[in-house]
Amino acid sequence: MTENQTPVLSVCDYSLDYRVGSERLSVLKNINLTIGRGEILGLVGESGSGKSSMASAIMRYLAPNAVENAGTIHLGSTDLRSQSARQLADLRGRRISMVFQDPSTSLNPTLKLGEQLTEVLIRHQGLSRAQAWKAGEERLAHVGLKFPVEMMHRLPHEVSGGEKQRVVIATAFACNPELIIFDEPTTALDVITSRQILDLFAQLQAETGVASLYISHDLAIVARTAGRVAVLQKGEIVEEGETEPLFRAPKHPYTRALIGAVPRPDRRLLKGDPPQAEPLVRVRDVSVNYGRRSLLDSLLRRDFTPVIGNRAVTLDIKPGEVLGIVGESGSGKSTLAKAMTGLNRFDGLIEFDGRPIRGLGDMDRAYRREVQIIFQHPDASLNPRQRISEILVRPLKLYGGREGVPVQRQIEEMLDRVRLPASYIDRFPHQLSGGEKQRVAIARAFLSSPRLVICDEITSALDVSVQASVIELLMDLHQQTGVAYIFITHDINLVRQIAHRIAVMYRGDLVEVVPTQAITSSDRAPYTRELVAAVTPPASLTLTA
Amino acid sequence: MPASYILKRVALIFYTLLVVSLLVFGITQVLPADAAVMMLGENATADALEALRNSMGLNDPVWLQYLRWIGGVLQGDFGTSLRTGQQVGPALFSALGTSLMLAVFSLAFMLVLALPAGILAAIRRGKLTDLLVSFLSYIGVALPEFVTATLAVLFIADWWGILPPAGYVPLSQDLAGGLRHLVLPVAVVSIIMIAHVSRMVRSELVDVLHTDYIRAAHLKGLSRSRILFRHGLRNALLPTITIVALDVGYLLGGVIVVEEIFSIPGIGRALMAAIQARDLPVIQAGVLIMAATYCIVNFAADLMYAWLDKRIQYD
Amino acid sequence: MTDFLRRLLMTPQGLLGSIIVVLVLFAAVTGGWFAPHDPDAMAALARYKPPGGEYLLGTDQYGRDILSRILSGARSTVTMALLATVLGTLLGAVVGTASAYLGGRWDEFIMRTIDAVMAIPSLLLALLVVSLLGAGGANALLAVAVAFMPGMARITRAVALTVRKQDYVSAAIARGEGSGYIVLREMLPNVVAPIVVELTIRVSFAVMLFATLSFLGLGAQPPAADWGLMVSEARQYLHRSPWILIWPSAIIAVTAIGFNLLGDGLRDALNPRT
Repeated sequence: MTENQTPVLSVCDYSLDYRVGSERLSVLKNINLTIGRGEILGLVGESGSGKSSMASAIMRYLAPNAVENAGTIHLGSTDLRSQSARQLADLRGRRISMVFQDPSTSLNPTLKLGEQLTEVLIRHQGLSRAQAWKAGEERLAHVGLKFPVEMMHRLPHEVSGGEKQRVVIATAFACNPELIIFDEPTTALDVITSRQILDLFAQLQAETGVASLYISHDLAIVARTAGRVAVLQKGEIVEEGETEPLFRAPKHPYTRALIGAVPRPDRRLLKGDPPQAEPLVRVRDVSVNYGRRSLLDSLLRRDFTPVIGNRAVTLDIKPGEVLGIVGESGSGKSTLAKAMTGLNRFDGLIEFDGRPIRGLGDMDRAYRREVQIIFQHPDASLNPRQRISEILVRPLKLYGGREGVPVQRQIEEMLDRVRLPASYIDRFPHQLSGGEKQRVAIARAFLSSPRLVICDEITSALDVSVQASVIELLMDLHQQTGVAYIFITHDINLVRQIAHRIAVMYRGDLVEVVPTQAITSSDRAPYTRELVAAVTPPASLTLTA
Repeated sequence: MPASYILKRVALIFYTLLVVSLLVFGITQVLPADAAVMMLGENATADALEALRNSMGLNDPVWLQYLRWIGGVLQGDFGTSLRTGQQVGPALFSALGTSLMLAVFSLAFMLVLALPAGILAAIRRGKLTDLLVSFLSYIGVALPEFVTATLAVLFIADWWGILPPAGYVPLSQDLAGGLRHLVLPVAVVSIIMIAHVSRMVRSELVDVLHTDYIRAAHLKGLSRSRILFRHGLRNALLPTITIVALDVGYLLGGVIVVEEIFSIPGIGRALMAAIQARDLPVIQAGVLIMAATYCIVNFAADLMYAWLDKRIQYD
Repeated sequence: MTDFLRRLLMTPQGLLGSIIVVLVLFAAVTGGWFAPHDPDAMAALARYKPPGGEYLLGTDQYGRDILSRILSGARSTVTMALLATVLGTLLGAVVGTASAYLGGRWDEFIMRTIDAVMAIPSLLLALLVVSLLGAGGANALLAVAVAFMPGMARITRAVALTVRKQDYVSAAIARGEGSGYIVLREMLPNVVAPIVVELTIRVSFAVMLFATLSFLGLGAQPPAADWGLMVSEARQYLHRSPWILIWPSAIIAVTAIGFNLLGDGLRDALNPRT
């Protein structure tokens, strides 16, 4: 960007508060940003950092309780803050547009995709309905949709998530805007789809030279995508600079901590080799089917096709082993976890420590004690109407704790082990942060001294720095207790850090189980290779520290 | 829309009517009323009563009586009124016609007022209009029909003399007069539904206006009217169809009271008279017809919903 | 508890609803103690008095003090409405919970039957039950309870099913907790809150339904001081004195509004996450 050129976007000394009751909550403090033509600025931050408020402020779509300071926001030479509502409506979609996080909520569920795309062309380019429809088909073809003519007539629920996001992107690019804001555009998508969307973004960006503000919590993606990065912490830009030097030598401690928390396959957190022993658990041909034949089906003698959750899954877990299970949504990884903990009916055999388990009836108290599960959302897995003390006393009541130690003592010790203050014992879950709640859930699982803990996406709802500390805790507990983990996740970088072996699942089938270091090997199954290739490696974060 | 879905819904209607017929037949069996005494009077001899009971089949087992009754109903024969000695079917169906007219006018009146009120309140959320609508709807749902009817008669009919206080004139006979007689009953029956439906429309629309796709529509620079009418209303009004259909049950209850107060010869009034006189065949037939009306309205609403909302899952 | 009360009284609906309901309940409990006159004492010389003076709200066609009659009528109308709603809710909760718990074909059968019963308008169902049992207060109570049962069963089942799907219940099952603990300690506290909200709102319908039954001559019988009955009797005399009609009508409406507001307030206050 040369100096005499006006930047496409410039934000100057901008601050934003929200009025909550009688208090003022500061969300953005003294923000200065510029984006030049053809430039991609990555805006990175954790939840609550104010990155989405920044997008709203630029789009001039603020909540009624927002209070702004005197700072300025310019699009080219246009002062966005002084635009009337009518002028803004004229700008939006034409000079500045936006791609949202979740295409399944940002598209109107009852309007055809074609209408949602062409309404922008009709509004801003004055095309007739027929012209716009024709143009729409071309745009859809351009974003890589194979059947654009048919796609125009579909409703959102009839197409896949990736296809929806392509339509949203086509809409954002439709009027050749000067600036596009991407607000976590791949977060709601599966790994492979998200890779394809990122490739599409790179291609369109190169073609059009549009200036982009790319908002994300995922440092690896931002490092790959953006030319310049601004790191947002609690409403303040703590560091900004060219991507490569910034990630190589971050100056601000927060940036350093953030980069350090990103899972990196080359930095193993699991010490030691996979244990050599007889398997603790053998899963043999376990299948799960959902759905049941309805009365009408039987009356009409119709064929009934159940929904398949798992198809004949067979695998072993050794004592003290960490087995990662990866796969996209709908691959059946959680279904297996539910079958193993008696939450789903299953066919087949599970052998635990030599004891055969063929169904719910065989899961006695000893089995329940030794096999614990931790869920994804601690908000849902901790009863909102129970205090932490009641939540944590249950395993002790059920399975009996240590002899001669008061229950209260045992709970306090466990809270200490998961690094929570003993004073939390009287709190309700909603008084804790997300990471703290997940620690309570971990404490509950470990109070029963289990031999296998199933972690079902337990860090995917957490921020990256919180995730890192929860993982560290899990690894410590593993060292101390020698427990075996089944770690279910969609984050392949993370699982490569912490697992002995990785099981890959796809649409209910177990594709393969491989030792972690062999996951990148070229003789892997085609799906595994596709999955691994789609992951953005944090290699671009060549942190030397 | 798959045929199996329609088939299933029709099967449900028949199941509903089966349950209702069993229920109402059960209740009328236990009712302390003796049909023979009602027909012959208190002074009839024991022999005469017994003979009549035998000939009417009242001494048969209960299940046989039920089968005989339901068999007749299926052939369109609802029995004879104990009070008037006339066929129940034709009298009730003509009364049903009157009630349906009242109901249809009320529904239309309700929609004309409730939809704009709810939409306006949602758009002006937190503003004076919203507070006013919500204030009025709190009062509206708290006024039973007999109270509004009585007050309406007092103020509008008696004090100001604008409208007739009661009575019914068929529209085919005198259109203007008939309509004048319908104004108060229609208004009274609608009030609670207006309050309820406008609240529902408001909360649905407020939810829709907070969705991501409405935000997306704003950020595409679309006009306010297009966002409201094309993107917002369609999704907000879909659930309202179901709510209105369920409210028809309430409407049919309200019709009973209103017909009683305004002396309208509808099915509600016929039922009230039958209940007071313990006229069993009329009670049985009346309840069954009301339930059938409710079923058919809800069936129609489900079909309409399925037709408008392509996302529906046919389970 | 104090925290809950503070949150309830902070919303305008909660505050106004609480005030009205407390006043109405107070009148229902104390009955006629605070009534300035004997509610049943007739005074031939004091008929059709307008409000003011010795008779704060005026007198009726027999010269009875309207305020006293309304105060003592609170006992029958409101107490009955509360009892009927609680009874209907309990019956409905048992059926709804059983349906949700049994699941599968049983659930489908029970819910379809409940739906079928709901095809009969609740007022008509209540009328049928009263005509079966005979007119009178206690029978009206049962009639209203029966009329409310199917609706409450539906709601209870829906709430129970939502709670049943929550991860904390899954966690308890995976832990090997007994059904008793799961139902009583994990599910019940989360099911009760929405049911209480629904129950509160239904009390207002019960008040209205009772009044309607009395109005139609199938509830309380004269000379009882019952709000619905007062309206019914006053209709003949509305030309002489509209006040006989207006006061009981107003008190029915205010009571119904009060329970409605309180229900809305409770909905916000009982949500543990806000």
